[in-house]
Amino acid sequence: MSGLRTLKMATLGVAMGMMGSIAGAQETIKLGLSVPLSGGGAVWGRGSVFMCERAVKEINEAGGVTVDGQAYNFECVAYDNKYNAADGTKVAQTLLNREGIKFIGGSLGTAPVKAMQSLTERQGVLLFTTAWGFTVKGPKFPLTFTQMNTPFEILPNLIPFIAEQHPDAKTLAMLNPNDASGQDTEEVARKVWQDTGIELLSSDFYERGTTEFQPIAARLAALNPDIIDLGGSPPADAGAVFRELAAIGWDGVKVVEVGTGADGIKATGGDAVEGVYMGAAVSFVGDEVTDHQKEVNEEARAEIGESLNAIHIGFYDSIYALKAAMEAADSIEPKEVAAVMPGVTFRTFYGSEIGFYGEETYGTVQQMRLPVIITQIQDGELVELGRVDPDGK
Amino acid sequence: MQTVIQLTLTSLQIGAVYILFSLGLTLIFGVMRIVNFAHGHLFAVSALLVAVMLSWLAGMGIPILPAYLLAVLAGVTASAALGFIIYVFGFKYFQRDMVGSFILSIGLVLLLDGIFLEIFGGGVRAVPEILPGSVEILGASVTQQRLFLCGMAVVITAALYWALTYTKLGKALRAVSIDHEAAMLQGVPYSRLALAGFMIAAVLAALAGALIAPISIVTPVIGADYLIKGFIAVIIGGLGSIPGAILGALFVAVIETVGSFYLDPTSATITIFVLVIVVLQVRPKGLMGHG
Repeated sequence: MSGLRTLKMATLGVAMGMMGSIAGAQETIKLGLSVPLSGGGAVWGRGSVFMCERAVKEINEAGGVTVDGQAYNFECVAYDNKYNAADGTKVAQTLLNREGIKFIGGSLGTAPVKAMQSLTERQGVLLFTTAWGFTVKGPKFPLTFTQMNTPFEILPNLIPFIAEQHPDAKTLAMLNPNDASGQDTEEVARKVWQDTGIELLSSDFYERGTTEFQPIAARLAALNPDIIDLGGSPPADAGAVFRELAAIGWDGVKVVEVGTGADGIKATGGDAVEGVYMGAAVSFVGDEVTDHQKEVNEEARAEIGESLNAIHIGFYDSIYALKAAMEAADSIEPKEVAAVMPGVTFRTFYGSEIGFYGEETYGTVQQMRLPVIITQIQDGELVELGRVDPDGK
Repeated sequence: MQTVIQLTLTSLQIGAVYILFSLGLTLIFGVMRIVNFAHGHLFAVSALLVAVMLSWLAGMGIPILPAYLLAVLAGVTASAALGFIIYVFGFKYFQRDMVGSFILSIGLVLLLDGIFLEIFGGGVRAVPEILPGSVEILGASVTQQRLFLCGMAVVITAALYWALTYTKLGKALRAVSIDHEAAMLQGVPYSRLALAGFMIAAVLAALAGALIAPISIVTPVIGADYLIKGFIAVIIGGLGSIPGAILGALFVAVIETVGSFYLDPTSATITIFVLVIVVLQVRPKGLMGHG
């Protein structure tokens, strides 16, 4: 009998201890990610998850997010959207309806983002996205914010720079993936290239997931353009195209407008990617690179085998933007957080204190005010050629 | 003229891989009367292992060519082992059962997709050039790596053709393909032959994967693109027909090359599917009929 009473007391003690522990624990806010974790865009998705988790780790270790006197921790929940609309739809339904997520910390790929957005705006979920195009931005989408520079920000800076570097280049051929991301990129790029006076010989699209680029390269090389612009092609695809072009003998000005780094493109392109200009890559070489940036980049290289780029960094910045907006709104209700988002500032991974802009371009303030970094692969390394801080409204 | 030569060479280079891929598909159908949607994964596992092993062996200081050959050996062995497992624990029980084997192979695709992603990650694997440099053929440029691939495809196809025509195993496989019950009445051990046919197909897919790895984008989903093209090739050529698979593969490669060159890549893809519809309307059993 005495033994039974001891057991009861012990059980009661353990239960009370657990209740105390639960009462003291911080609640968790799940942040959904819809990213490609397989296929040509996987390196973007894996790095994005890494950066979300890195930002969450930093924030949680610093005490989390404090709203109305209550501290919350963040948690990243990522699913593979395979960079297509069908899987993007499945991911959107899983995140919103099964996981019950109210904040999407980042979403990658215009087609899966459109699938996601069709639910987030209707269900009152705040959405951060890397996708571009007027179709996913503007006053119709008050809960949507853009976490990286898009062609609207990158191309007006990148293309004139390239044209200036190569005054003898008079003709151009473009190639983009045949999906919403590629079509949106092509539309902006076509206009900006034409504004520079360079003649567009052709603008083609290819199916994402293509593994054989030789016929495409044969067509591009036969046009003999001075510049070949692979627009929004993933690094692996772009590398493969340049490798086939080099094999055929074409050697001109190489551009990947939304190119995100040297490692991915070199994996399939080898030496053929020498000289490629990119608009979404980030160089971690130089005195101005901070210790924090170097440390995180080294961790990323060990984890994903590639340096960080603008896409990855967007998934770090969006988490800090969410923290800032939740604390400014003193709320974890997505609509209230979205309402204050245009006015908040936060410290970006790039180092400066930034906010949002974009009213002139999109009609609403929903674009992160990030620097545009122009890079080139020189001797196999990524070199920063210029950095432009946006000054638009 | 140079354009014609370049397009012809490009068609042959692409066709070489499609041939190796389609031969396996058509062989499995011919012997077992099943369609194996997991065939692309036998191709993918070989390409992935070549990429992983090559980096590892090269990192140990082994020269690139011997390292590649060792990596190919590892890739083909792994692919054959995977083929053996999925036959013994799966397809063995669904021979000559189109619906059952279809459901099984779709399940295997999902399972293997998950396993590959877990083991290899989703990213692109870098494979260094094994045979660097290009050669000029009648004014058109071809890389030595692709030329090697073409040569190997010709050798493998010729060896398979010879084996099917002149060896006891080949004759038995053909007999089973034509009428398996009659073959069994003649004492042909069907179960053993089905396994042999499946394993030959697995090795063909593995060789294709190992050969394409240095010139393609190696990811766990690399097999998907080739699987679609391979199926189109065998449907056009005639399911189960070896000459049909070769003809179909070259047909797809020519359409893809010429279409991409004169139209654009998207139109070329549409053209391939339209032509499949036309061929099936005119010759429902494919150009060469069922094998």
